[in-house]
Amino acid sequence: MVEQDLEAWLEQGYVPSFRTACLILGNRADAEEAVQEAFLRAWRFRASLASVSSIQPWLYRVVVNACYSKLRQEIPHRDHRADDGPLAHIAGRGSDPDTMAQHGQVAETVLHALQQLPVSLRVPVVLRYYADLSERDIALAIGRRPGTVKSRLHEARRRLGEDPSIAALADEPTLDQTGEA
Amino acid sequence: MPALTDDFLGALFVEAGAAFEVPASGASDIVDRALGTDNGSSDGSDDGSLDEGAVTPAAETDEPPPGRRTGPGTLRSHRLLAVAAGLIVLAGIAGVGLALRPATGSHPTASVAAGPQRSTSTPKAGGPSRSFSPTQGTTQPQPKQSLSAPPSAAPQSTSPAGQSTKIAQTGSLDLQVPKGTLTSTITALTTLATRAQGFVANTQTRAHPGERGTSPQGSVTLEVPEASFGAVLHDAQVLGKSLNLTTKATDVTGKYVDLQSRITSLQASRQQYLAILAKATSISDILAVQAQLDTLQSQIEQLQGQLAVLTNETTYSTLTVTVHEPPPAHRPAPRAPSGIDRAWHDSVRGFFDGVDGVVGAAGPVLFVVLSLGVVALVGRLLWRRWQRHNL
Repeated sequence: MVEQDLEAWLEQGYVPSFRTACLILGNRADAEEAVQEAFLRAWRFRASLASVSSIQPWLYRVVVNACYSKLRQEIPHRDHRADDGPLAHIAGRGSDPDTMAQHGQVAETVLHALQQLPVSLRVPVVLRYYADLSERDIALAIGRRPGTVKSRLHEARRRLGEDPSIAALADEPTLDQTGEA
Repeated sequence: MPALTDDFLGALFVEAGAAFEVPASGASDIVDRALGTDNGSSDGSDDGSLDEGAVTPAAETDEPPPGRRTGPGTLRSHRLLAVAAGLIVLAGIAGVGLALRPATGSHPTASVAAGPQRSTSTPKAGGPSRSFSPTQGTTQPQPKQSLSAPPSAAPQSTSPAGQSTKIAQTGSLDLQVPKGTLTSTITALTTLATRAQGFVANTQTRAHPGERGTSPQGSVTLEVPEASFGAVLHDAQVLGKSLNLTTKATDVTGKYVDLQSRITSLQASRQQYLAILAKATSISDILAVQAQLDTLQSQIEQLQGQLAVLTNETTYSTLTVTVHEPPPAHRPAPRAPSGIDRAWHDSVRGFFDGVDGVVGAAGPVLFVVLSLGVVALVGRLLWRRWQRHNL
């Protein structure tokens, strides 16, 4: 595997991995570090890719483990900086200010609801609904059985449904079922 | 509560994820670091046994990537492990100490040290000495002293040079006292030293008889003024039966005078150098004279220290008194037991030996159980924490 392979690999997986880490960690800087570590680890173990049937869950597993390391070792003991809060660096999409504000508000609401979930529920729900992994691939990514993933997803959905801000978004007609506001 | 469909949640999460701006240089940084730290291992032969089933959290955290920071959580875990290991080591040391403690440590020993410590065991060469041992019936008189004239009677004559004789005296007395009077005898010896304006340098008593039939005994080291040495020795002998007496007197007059004369000579030289210093005009002369003065002052202080030690030795004489009670009477050997008696006693002794063995083995077993309990507790704690963190 040469440099071009790594670049192709990053082109395919860096953006979803970065945003997955952002949703798990709730912090852009931590997510950037975690994804960087994850890709470096993956690059170091690239020799074993030949035996991997699908690189995607394996890569997500490395990313999730890097996020776990961040959550376990560094973030709980860190003094939060003024410009590095959980909701920092969120920018809404769109061309006009109203649309940007609306998208930003949705993103903040989702991120806030995710931060209320324990990590054990947050990781599978992000992998399921953002990374669009199957339950089997999620099980592979987090090292748990598919049954465990199913129950955790169910519990995560229940808790998100109980969140009033998420419920309010569900009632609004502005966000259609395809994700286009 | 509205039902959250998968499509709705997917749209929400995509929306939330898209709100995070992707760093422009993120991918290129990774390429730079990966290729910069690759150092030719592109074949991935370092740990390359990773597949879907082999990717474990441990496998990915055992090999920290370059620049990875060690978080406080790791340090805290290491501290916890270090504390647990320390507790186990301490418990092990305590257990080993208990196991190695001798079973015959039942002799209470009291040791009191007071006042300046002087060695009484170092022989002083060249001095007159004598030894008297009533039990052996031999007397070895030495030239300058006799039993009728104890060493205290000899002290301070005047030498032809006008210097009073300086005698450093030491003595040891082995005293046997009636049964039950050991403590009172030790107290009386202490009183003797105090009354003679001296002090007790060391006391050591063993109040209870030893296991091999040894009698209670103790020893007292008295430091008494040189003039009172004879009187104190005489009074001490009266307190019990004197079994062995050894005294030694060393004439240190010559050394004393020599030290004094050397000090006087050096002081005279110092005065001359001071006079020269007062007349010196150049800086180099002043410095040279000052260096000589410093050397002289150092020599004078060294000799004065030796003189002070010698004065102390001749001012106080050391008397070491060993006091002991008579050994217990020798019991006649019991008659040989009959066959039934012997069998009964063997049986009783075997029973108590068994009890001793059980009690003796209980300590190490308890230690092992406690150690395993600590290890299990720490392991359980770490396992639960690890599970909680890995979820």
